[in-house]
Amino acid sequence: MRFFIVSPRPLAVFFCLLLWVAPLWAATLEDRVITHEFDNGLKLLMVPRPEIPTFTAYITLGVGSVHETSEYRGMAHMLEHMLFKGTQTIGTTDYAKEKPLLEQIEAVGSRLDALRQRRDADSEKIAALEKELAALQHQHQQFVVKDEFARIYAEHGGTGYNAFTSRDLTTYLVSLPANKLELWAAVESDRMKNPVLREFYTEREVVMEERFRTVETNPRGLLFENLFANAFTVHPYRNPILGWRSDIENLTLAQTRDFLQRYYGPVNTVIALVGDIDPPAAVAMIERYFGDIPPGSPVPPVFHVEPPQQGERRVQVLFDAEPQLAMAFHKPTLPEFDDYVFDLVNLILGQGRTSRLHRSLVLEQQLATAVQTFITPGSRYPNLFVIAATPRHPHTTAEVEAAIYAELERLAREPVSAAELERAVNRLRTDRLRFLRSNEGLARMLTFYQSVAGDWRYVLTYDDIVAEIDAQDVMETAARWLHSGNRTVVTLERGEQQP
Amino acid sequence: MKSQMRWLLIVLVVFVWGCAQAPAPASFRDLSFAPLEFQVPEMERLTLDNGMRLYVQEDRELPLVEVTVMIGAGSIGDPADQVGLADLYAAVLRSGGAGNRDPDALDSFLDMRAANLSAAADTHAVTLTLSLRSDDLEEGLEVLADVLRRPRFDAARLEIAQRQALEGIRRQNDDPGTLARRVLSRTLYGQHPLGRSATADSIMSIVRHDLVAFHESYAHPNNLWVGISGDFSRDGLLESLARHFGDWPAAAVRPQEIPPLAAETPASAWVVPRGLPQTTILLGEIGIDKDNPDQYALRVMNFLLGGGGFNSRLMREIRSNRGLAYSVYSFYQVGRHLPGLFIAGSETRTNAVLEVVDLKREIMTQMRDTPVAEADLSLARESLINSFVFGFTDPHAVVAMTMRLDFYDYPEDYLRAYRDHIAAVSAADVQRVARRYLNPDRQMLVLVGDVQDTASELAARGMRVEEFSLED
Repeated sequence: MRFFIVSPRPLAVFFCLLLWVAPLWAATLEDRVITHEFDNGLKLLMVPRPEIPTFTAYITLGVGSVHETSEYRGMAHMLEHMLFKGTQTIGTTDYAKEKPLLEQIEAVGSRLDALRQRRDADSEKIAALEKELAALQHQHQQFVVKDEFARIYAEHGGTGYNAFTSRDLTTYLVSLPANKLELWAAVESDRMKNPVLREFYTEREVVMEERFRTVETNPRGLLFENLFANAFTVHPYRNPILGWRSDIENLTLAQTRDFLQRYYGPVNTVIALVGDIDPPAAVAMIERYFGDIPPGSPVPPVFHVEPPQQGERRVQVLFDAEPQLAMAFHKPTLPEFDDYVFDLVNLILGQGRTSRLHRSLVLEQQLATAVQTFITPGSRYPNLFVIAATPRHPHTTAEVEAAIYAELERLAREPVSAAELERAVNRLRTDRLRFLRSNEGLARMLTFYQSVAGDWRYVLTYDDIVAEIDAQDVMETAARWLHSGNRTVVTLERGEQQP
Repeated sequence: MKSQMRWLLIVLVVFVWGCAQAPAPASFRDLSFAPLEFQVPEMERLTLDNGMRLYVQEDRELPLVEVTVMIGAGSIGDPADQVGLADLYAAVLRSGGAGNRDPDALDSFLDMRAANLSAAADTHAVTLTLSLRSDDLEEGLEVLADVLRRPRFDAARLEIAQRQALEGIRRQNDDPGTLARRVLSRTLYGQHPLGRSATADSIMSIVRHDLVAFHESYAHPNNLWVGISGDFSRDGLLESLARHFGDWPAAAVRPQEIPPLAAETPASAWVVPRGLPQTTILLGEIGIDKDNPDQYALRVMNFLLGGGGFNSRLMREIRSNRGLAYSVYSFYQVGRHLPGLFIAGSETRTNAVLEVVDLKREIMTQMRDTPVAEADLSLARESLINSFVFGFTDPHAVVAMTMRLDFYDYPEDYLRAYRDHIAAVSAADVQRVARRYLNPDRQMLVLVGDVQDTASELAARGMRVEEFSLED
């Protein structure tokens, strides 16, 4: 065979650089990750990957919606929105002049909220206050430089500028060209030191729209919200990250500020920098910009413990959509041995075309068009093994449910084959490698395990532990957790919704 | 030698000074940056004697290999009574077994090695992707050759794929966002292939022979583009490819016909009533294709309008200033052979729908009527130019992108010239393309939600309001 070279140019230098970079897979990850802890407790994890002149920065706070009390639900997420609004120098034309106006807005806004909560509220009074608030907000706009964080990053070629709040943690992320590390340090340290929570009442409306969009008009969103709220009765994993509708309506600026001051300190923060960075220079840079921030206090552990479930819970959700089904089983979380076993159970039952549930329900019995399994809704505290299925008409959720139970019972009764175990272990290892392909994937993995497991090195021993798991372990774990008494089942069926 | 020494000395001095006296943290406003040096990488292109095009890139960081294959035919050629043919072809090409492996054996073989193989059809191509560990590359290429050269199109798997497609159709209205997109494409493109979607009848009219015929028409090496990146030696890989694909003869391929678009349909409001607390709002019109020289000016214009996230006017006014939506955006799908859609979308609570529709139209009108400020223009240009490097952070994405650009006959210097084209866009260009391509008066409006009051008000204003029949 002869190859005709259309474009005779040699490979560009930039790809050749890949050759000298040490391999990144498990055995060498330990050597590739450079760690540094600053005096104020801030942790830094770095992986230099100089092939392309860009870097990804993750700032992860080990604070999420699980740390909210019933007075505060939706707060961690609301704060994420508010921390996009700027600082004493970003997002404002003159903070000194703006400040008194912000105080007036808060005073009127909180009076309005208090009034709205009253059953005997006078609608004329409400309308008057609404008018007053709108006028103040309008006046405030003259001092606002809109969305300046986004503008700064965009001008400098940043991409993926975003943040996300989960039940366990909150992350602020951006990717920038390699020559912009100092820009990032200047902007993000300012966000930590001098945040100004402006435009709160407008943003609360945005969050309500977000809830409409992701839950109240979305059949899957509704299904899972109901699943978590019923599987957990005591532990705050039961609550939606955005909060319930009435939570959002009643979030206050004072609470948001309090939450910020309480938790958002260096001692709860881990930064990951992955890409074309020079580690000693990065340490010096971060020391210079973040080093003088007071440590803050560590996030206290959540003391609520979910009582053992004593019997099946069933919920029906009516919505204008075709039927769906989801079920959840309580399980322990990392570093418990059963958590490792569940990673294999997850693969054997629900991941890939040869997984048991796909084979049985989708290919053989054709009761469903899709079956998915996952471990959710958080990892810091005991969580859930979830199975979700899309029934295929005319088959019902009941038929699908029965077929799933047959597979769960089989898993607890018969040892899985050596081939299934091998397949699952292979899959875990290889999917991890895929995760490392991008700077974002690596930054996410490092900050996640540092926050949730307390040390990113958790991933280093992971493969060895998983390799020791045998068929007996899988059977025992399945028998221990995947039974009816530990189960919550939610079905979504077409029907009239209550107003 | 001497000058090197001096240079070293300067470095040392700077370093010592740096240690002695760390500069105070600066405000981002006081920082300046040298320009980033970045050259668009040249990709090696090869063609086998049988016409199969190869794009090969070593990347040794992880023991993985990624393969993307494009077959030059897509859903644009679906017969009117067999809409969904290309989708079913792709599904059963993957699931229906190949060579001496029946469907189960093929799945087991791949799954045991944690290899991912997928196939999907879009308008003009069927794309296969294969991801595997480099140790399994040889076997993976053998499987890929089987799938492309010896697919079995197992009848039972076709039936499963059809039943799954039917269930997909039953569920196509469950998500208001997906439903709104379908309505918009349908109302703008009508019965053109770009506007149609599969029905139960069109799915059930497809038989195994149709898949085989599709394969025989289009799956030939001279109609194939193959991109491979990852942990292998280039020469060894080329030998394997020659072994698995070299004796596959070229054959005549008749390109799919691309029907011209029908005459423009008059602007209307199409409503789909749903008992939801939030309404999905789309405004849309037919936009441009890739050969349009205005595409750079349009990119800049759309960044400012609704493509630039928080830096865009739609997001700023509707979300940030007024709290009326969570997601607000606009984009041009740059069509490959025919003009694609322009869409401006968002959702909002029921009683704010008209306000949002009016705001969107006002912002678009302003884009037409008023030249953009120099600061805004420069922000859009800088952002598009400075973020260009991120298109190259994933070596396989670069391979796949290069291949796609060739597949669709983009100019040879498209990537190299991209930043210069963006830099050359002026405020006058932005206004000119806004006037030409952004026509709020002629746009279709789609509303999915609790629309009754809004529909009456729109009708009272004299707008044509029609209820979209979900049976269509």
